[in-house]
Amino acid sequence: VSTEDGHDHHHPRPDSQVALRARALEALLAEKGLVAADAIDAVVELYERDVGPQNGAKVVARAWTDPAFRERLLENGTKAIAELGFVGAQGDNVVAVANTPTVHNVVVCTLCSCYPWPVLGLPPTWYKSPPYRARMVAEPRAVLREFGVELPDEVEVRVWDSSAEVRYLVVPMRPAGTDGLPEDALRALVTRDCMIGTAVPSAPESTL
Amino acid sequence: MSTADRAVRLADLDAALARGVPLPRDNGELVFDEPWQGRALGMGVAILDHTGASWAEFRRHLAIAIRHRPQHPGESAATAYYAAWMDAVEALLAERGRLA
Repeated sequence: VSTEDGHDHHHPRPDSQVALRARALEALLAEKGLVAADAIDAVVELYERDVGPQNGAKVVARAWTDPAFRERLLENGTKAIAELGFVGAQGDNVVAVANTPTVHNVVVCTLCSCYPWPVLGLPPTWYKSPPYRARMVAEPRAVLREFGVELPDEVEVRVWDSSAEVRYLVVPMRPAGTDGLPEDALRALVTRDCMIGTAVPSAPESTL
Repeated sequence: MSTADRAVRLADLDAALARGVPLPRDNGELVFDEPWQGRALGMGVAILDHTGASWAEFRRHLAIAIRHRPQHPGESAATAYYAAWMDAVEALLAERGRLA
């Protein structure tokens, strides 16, 4: 993941002035002991649940129930997601990568915190942490195990490094035992972490 | 503070701002063009929790900030709003002598 080896990996457009100011203000508030980062995280998490991952969950549930949509989604993520009304800033391309019985996908941004926020909301704090960014590339299985995802040896782990131009969305496998569930019930099974690849969805207990 | 309490606080804030300086929305849903805007919102809520200032007090600062910092050409409504929002956070803290 080097930008100097001629390999075309574009990382963030430089942050805007106002984004830098937000970061500076947050640092100042922390320094003065006025606000802890986790208090801000808690608020962010609230509406993340409201506006963020719910969008992605709609996309995944649609892909689970509509094979033609799934095909369009894997072919051109940005376009298929726009069908559901979720549009990001110009130039953001969302690439959907599907888990299968033999492939597990997981997303990281090694240089910063590129993230498909139109469908997932804001990234969780750990996504931006240097250990996650470094270790997910070096030892993905170990990191996934820490997240509680145990993968059989024969499952290949693919780690996708996001950039400012390409954001990845993991389409998890539909859990067994959910055949009778309608799309809106399926949505509730798809958490943010499932779409980053650090979790896998499970069937609701009542259907097991 | 529990999640439910926070949700109520956020709903209160939303309602308090709805008159005059409403949170940017599209089709009913809150709009955040970029992650920093969500962080800014979080800073405002956390600051109010920390200082015990009222929504009304914050709203007054926000209304002034928005008047002083109108939307620039080429910038989104949410960008303008949350930039003014940060001004309001600073103004509230300055008034209370907390940034010294």
